[in-house]
Amino acid sequence: MSINTKIIGRSVPRIDGRDKVTGAAKYTGDIKFPNMLFGKILTSPHAHARIISIDTSAAEALPGVKAVITHKDVPDIKYGISPARWDENIFCIDKVRFVGDKVAAVACTDEETCYKALKLIKVEYEVLPAVLDFRKAMDAGMPQVHDEYPKNINVEIHQEFGDIEKAFKEAHLVRTDAFLGNRAYQSPIEPHSATSLWDGDKLTVYSSTQSPHYFQYYIAREFGMDMGNVRVVKPYVGGGFGGKMEPTGLEFAGAVLAKLTGRPVRMFFDRHEMFAHNRGRHAQYMEITTGVTKDGKILGAHSNFMMDGGAYTSLGIATAYYAGALLPLTYEFDHYKFDLFRLYTNLPACGAQRGHGAPQPKYAFESHLDNVATELGIDPMDIRILNARRPETVTPNDFAIHSCELTQCLTRARIISNWDAKKKEGGMPKGHGIGVSTGSFVSGAGYPIYRTDLPHSAVVIKVNEDGTSATLYTGAPDIGQGSDTVLCQMAAEAMGFHYEKMKIIAADTETCPMDLGAYASRLTLMTGAACKSAGEEIKKSLLEMASSMLHLPPDDLECEDAIIYSKSRDGKALTFQEVARKHFVLKGPLIGKGSYNPPKLGGKFKGSPVGTSPAYSFGVQVGEVKIDEETGEIEAVGFWDVHDCGTVVNPRLLHGQVHGALSMGMGESVWEEVLFDDEGRIKNPDLANYRILTALDMPPVESEIVESYEDIAPWGVKEIGEGSTNPTMGCFSNAIYDAMGVRVYSLPLSYEKVWRALKEKREREHGGKE
Amino acid sequence: MYLPDFDYHSPESLDEALSLLAGLGSGAKVLAGGTDLLHKMKQGDLAPEALVSLKGLDELKGINYVEGRGVVIGALSTQNDILYSEVLAKKYPSVSHAAKKMASNQIRHLGTVGGNIVNAVPSADLPPILIALGATITLASTSGKREMALEDFFVEPASSVIEEGEILTEVAIPDGGFTGSSYHKFGLRRSGALAVVGVAVSARVENGVIQEARIVCASSAPKVIRAPKAEEFITGKTSAPDTLAELQAIVESEVRPRDSIRGSAEYRRNLAGVLAKRALIDAVESGHGIHAED
Amino acid sequence: MNTIQDKEGVKRYMLSLTVNGDPHTVVVKANTTLSQVLRNELALTGTKQGCELGDCGSCTVLMDGKPVNSCMVLALEAEGREVTTIEGVAEGAKLSDLQESFVNHGAVQCGYCSPGMVLSAKALLARNPHPSELEVREAISGNLCRCTGYVHIVEAILAVSEGRTTPPEEANAGGEA
Repeated sequence: MSINTKIIGRSVPRIDGRDKVTGAAKYTGDIKFPNMLFGKILTSPHAHARIISIDTSAAEALPGVKAVITHKDVPDIKYGISPARWDENIFCIDKVRFVGDKVAAVACTDEETCYKALKLIKVEYEVLPAVLDFRKAMDAGMPQVHDEYPKNINVEIHQEFGDIEKAFKEAHLVRTDAFLGNRAYQSPIEPHSATSLWDGDKLTVYSSTQSPHYFQYYIAREFGMDMGNVRVVKPYVGGGFGGKMEPTGLEFAGAVLAKLTGRPVRMFFDRHEMFAHNRGRHAQYMEITTGVTKDGKILGAHSNFMMDGGAYTSLGIATAYYAGALLPLTYEFDHYKFDLFRLYTNLPACGAQRGHGAPQPKYAFESHLDNVATELGIDPMDIRILNARRPETVTPNDFAIHSCELTQCLTRARIISNWDAKKKEGGMPKGHGIGVSTGSFVSGAGYPIYRTDLPHSAVVIKVNEDGTSATLYTGAPDIGQGSDTVLCQMAAEAMGFHYEKMKIIAADTETCPMDLGAYASRLTLMTGAACKSAGEEIKKSLLEMASSMLHLPPDDLECEDAIIYSKSRDGKALTFQEVARKHFVLKGPLIGKGSYNPPKLGGKFKGSPVGTSPAYSFGVQVGEVKIDEETGEIEAVGFWDVHDCGTVVNPRLLHGQVHGALSMGMGESVWEEVLFDDEGRIKNPDLANYRILTALDMPPVESEIVESYEDIAPWGVKEIGEGSTNPTMGCFSNAIYDAMGVRVYSLPLSYEKVWRALKEKREREHGGKE
Repeated sequence: MYLPDFDYHSPESLDEALSLLAGLGSGAKVLAGGTDLLHKMKQGDLAPEALVSLKGLDELKGINYVEGRGVVIGALSTQNDILYSEVLAKKYPSVSHAAKKMASNQIRHLGTVGGNIVNAVPSADLPPILIALGATITLASTSGKREMALEDFFVEPASSVIEEGEILTEVAIPDGGFTGSSYHKFGLRRSGALAVVGVAVSARVENGVIQEARIVCASSAPKVIRAPKAEEFITGKTSAPDTLAELQAIVESEVRPRDSIRGSAEYRRNLAGVLAKRALIDAVESGHGIHAED
Repeated sequence: MNTIQDKEGVKRYMLSLTVNGDPHTVVVKANTTLSQVLRNELALTGTKQGCELGDCGSCTVLMDGKPVNSCMVLALEAEGREVTTIEGVAEGAKLSDLQESFVNHGAVQCGYCSPGMVLSAKALLARNPHPSELEVREAISGNLCRCTGYVHIVEAILAVSEGRTTPPEEANAGGEA
């Protein structure tokens, strides 16, 4: 379906572009208040230890130190994503559970004094044996990370849909493969910081956050305050990718330090502390079994996973459910079983990272599917086309799929990557290989991040008094993905106004209506829907006003490009500006309001809400790699991404999301891994040895969109921000296999692992054991 | 992150710098580009009482060809000075190429050749190619100057023979008989990566036969090392595939890497052999020129 | 260099440098980095701090025209030098071509790497007005970006080298429908 839009579909420049290229854009750490102090958190040097005593006296005596706090100075209310798993305190009380666990905090006159003061806090620990390998966490005799959770099981999931045994019995081939994931870290370039200040009973926190509303909720809850007395403001944010979704401790500690000192306090992480706090991608052990027919049709699948949760729940319950729940999205089969244990270890907690829960299982499933295809002698592209999900279908775990152009994506990717020619003998230079993989992701979560009946998104648009501009007020946080721009486009479209005349006030809990935040790729669809309602309300008011000015019925009038005109009579027209001004004079402020609540979604089984969404994006990636046989070095030669993301609001921003998601997926595929030593300390907490891609590592990328329209969404839109991370790891795995005939069963698919696999293959062949 | 306090001195001549250093004693460190020194200080690995900045010492800058001495590189030449040097582009593009493989553009504008040598890090990129070309260095102190082969400068583990009060002033690449040279670095991404292994090779080739060769390996032992058995093996031979395979195996047997976060000892051993082979091919086939990839 | 000593015996040094054409004199401890002087003393917070170890490039400024990581430069080493920060790139209210091109090409997402990225690109084009794509990638390879995959950044820089600040498909239409 094609739609007639004026602003949606145009690559308008970002609304914040000018601020960001001139250095005018203020991020949390750039904002300075008079009399401001600086604060830091003292963290545990041990993976697991009992706190015997804490002596802060030497730190307090250091000139420039204004306050030192420990668990005694803060509420002892535990927090986390779900009430059943609230397991984290602002500061550790009895014991520390990972290297980096929070113990105390200081507020000082400058940054340097903070570091010096931390060194003067004397904490006596009794070191305890630690759980460092999640695959052994359930074993008998392992230490307990939390006494309340026996066998270190944070959550276990056992779901079965259909009859998996029957499916396997009927299958021509039943194959099992096992894979191991890596701990990755979001690594936004802007480090976390939070500045707290009090005005009487009211607390204001400026924070580098993906969800001002969720922070407001948690800060109010921790301190027993009314939400109305907590204001959270998001200045410009330098990337989040899931790592700025929940309060880090900087907000809690800063609030207390600001209260105690009566001064604004800026708390901040340095790069090392970011890594230590972590909440990155869970490393998972993934066993996948599928039963297929002779032709390659998947009959059923079983995912059997274990996941390294780290020391706390964080957002990990959602991650755990997502890991299995999203797997049946791209391929149609009726029988599905999903078992998972998320385990506590004495490592930093894991949380949500771009593609939340889905990318590693996708790596496993897509690698496995290629193994199946190889065994059956089927082309990897063909087996995917054969199984590809179709529109208006329902997954075995009760997710209703409406628009879905996966087959078209596969077909198109096949053409633009020149797949068939490359797959022929001699179709690529020696050492090259090509792989394909699919992905899908939610366009917003069907249920809120915490239990509430509040709408998921709400906005207000105010047309300014003389009608020359309009301001969109939204709680939605732009963390770099471009929501401020896209939402203004949508608001202007609905009003019949100009994008260039839109202003935006966003992500401030006091001046903006609430929004659940930038996660689960939700803003374009959900906040977009709220913008559409608000814009249409304004248009309706304007047309009514114009109706009385032109003496024509409102339904004969339309507003486009800021001109209100009669549909039936030529020459009868007024400007948006004059009608809006008249409205203000005669009827008061011209305001539009909108809010969004998803429809009731999903099944009735335990965990059924996770993975539900009004709409799902679908995508395909093809990657070509070149392997250096002697060193295992992997060069990404080219990538092709073809996406079904519904109607495109801003093509340039959209492709930018694809490029970014792909580059993050690439990093995790080959280059990135948080490494720990045998005492649970991170060995590479810096950007030299945690290798996110540089401009020289990034291959040419072709990003393409297929025609698609989502009926349930405003203007037919769907998500893009996270979906393109999902296929990438599987794509690399399959391309490497195609190039070299070796499969690497653990992430990252590092040069050394590829080299080793090749060496072992040579040895097998020479040893004649193949 | 912060730098511990120190006193700062910025002398205006080498003599002034040397007497300052002599007076300050063991608590003082020399500050050139600062990219290694400040890094260590921020990480808490070093807390000197004083820094003597060399920024005012113009006499330690410049890359020139001096008749009878060869290419003389002032110790304060930055890595980008080396990369963009016309003298080196003409005489030893291989040295510029090694500089190009270092860190990032911004760091290369700061980091100096002197710093890269004096820090004595086994993964440093400039020493292997300089040693392969038979470079000498000059160390100055209040008691005079001494010159030595760069190769003799490093001692295990990761330290050098530099003495308190000494400043490295220049590096000289003598007009040697080498007809070709090359440095191959293996990093885990294409920029901002330390060498997992780096190997430099120089060779004197006559009629396709290698008369003399130096094979110098970085990140392959606690200091930059030569592979003497491999050098001896290749002397008098051509770069035929079978010979190279044997050379690769000999280099593998001579290096002594350890397991690190960038690679296992076994992997790095393999890399040293592969890179030595590739660098030798370049040195034989492309003179001091730059690899095909560039 | 003029110094004064506080009561703990720590010296303060008087530092003079030129930033974006303006002369400045500040009093700093020896351990102060150039990035700290720019951000804290001169309130030029466009110079970002991402890693403080010279790995990310967010703090890139031009010192005598050359891009350096200002977190790895002692402030005192900038004595007498000309420093250009992102605040000094636009010509008054008018964006420079590079800035304009970054905005129009969608080369900016979160924006945290953008100041350093623009300055690295500015230095490149000053030295080499018509770089190849590889040369562009090399020049910005010390500026880490976690958002864009560098695709639009490279396009934006190459466009300026070709005398454009707008993507070809949008140059006439002012946006594709």
